[in-house]
Amino acid sequence: MADQANFERDAMQYAPQLYSAALRMTRSPADAEDVVQETFLKAYRAYDSYTEGTNLKAWLYRILTNTYINKYRKAQRRPSEVELGELQDLYLYKRLGESSGASQSAEADMLDEFVDTDVIEALESLPETFRFPVLLADVDGFSYKEIAEMLDIPIGTVMSRLHRGRKALQKKLWDVAQEHGITGKES
Amino acid sequence: MSGCDHAVEYVYQYLDDEISFYRKSRIRMHLRYCSNCTDAYEFEYKLKGVIRDRGRSDPPPELFDTLRALIEEERQRDEPGT
Repeated sequence: MADQANFERDAMQYAPQLYSAALRMTRSPADAEDVVQETFLKAYRAYDSYTEGTNLKAWLYRILTNTYINKYRKAQRRPSEVELGELQDLYLYKRLGESSGASQSAEADMLDEFVDTDVIEALESLPETFRFPVLLADVDGFSYKEIAEMLDIPIGTVMSRLHRGRKALQKKLWDVAQEHGITGKES
Repeated sequence: MSGCDHAVEYVYQYLDDEISFYRKSRIRMHLRYCSNCTDAYEFEYKLKGVIRDRGRSDPPPELFDTLRALIEEERQRDEPGT
């Protein structure tokens, strides 16, 4: 059992990550701040129920995702299953490879051209159903099991949404690469 | 399933370290002699790092103060008169 008096000391270090995750979820700075404030308030009130020594970051993220879902998804209780279409495996790797010609490892070098705003735009373009698992796995580094608990879905669903979500993310990055002319063809 | 198909199918589980020991060994063995799959794995590994490092935003500087004030207010509500 954790002592409420230590909450600030223990939890405040995660505020920037939680804010960033909330911003990717809500796509609005004002809403993100709202969700983070509510998350901290709920977490403070419930800190007695947090077991010391377990993963505090995961505990806070669970409150964050629940707060978001309760606040913004009340109208549609169940997220609609959005179709992303079938995309090829290794989508971005193959597209970049086709555009750059034969040189080895050129694909990996091209990744250096992507800037923060490209990655953020691609992440935020994903439908919520896929955006959350991708965010939680790729940006925040949670395990499949932790993500399953946060989103209250089976691990198999986490895996299939991650698989499809990552491919969709790669397609969006490819679109961005083409728009910004970083597909290796010129200059 | 060919070695390449197997490696491609499990690339995420491998990079996420969410894969069985058996599959992991099989993929490692395959990567040792398949430069195409090794390239693809290195690409996916790097991409994962790019998303982690460039997918975040900084909070507004006043966020910490706002959160501290919020908690302080809540604390005083719990202990009136202190």
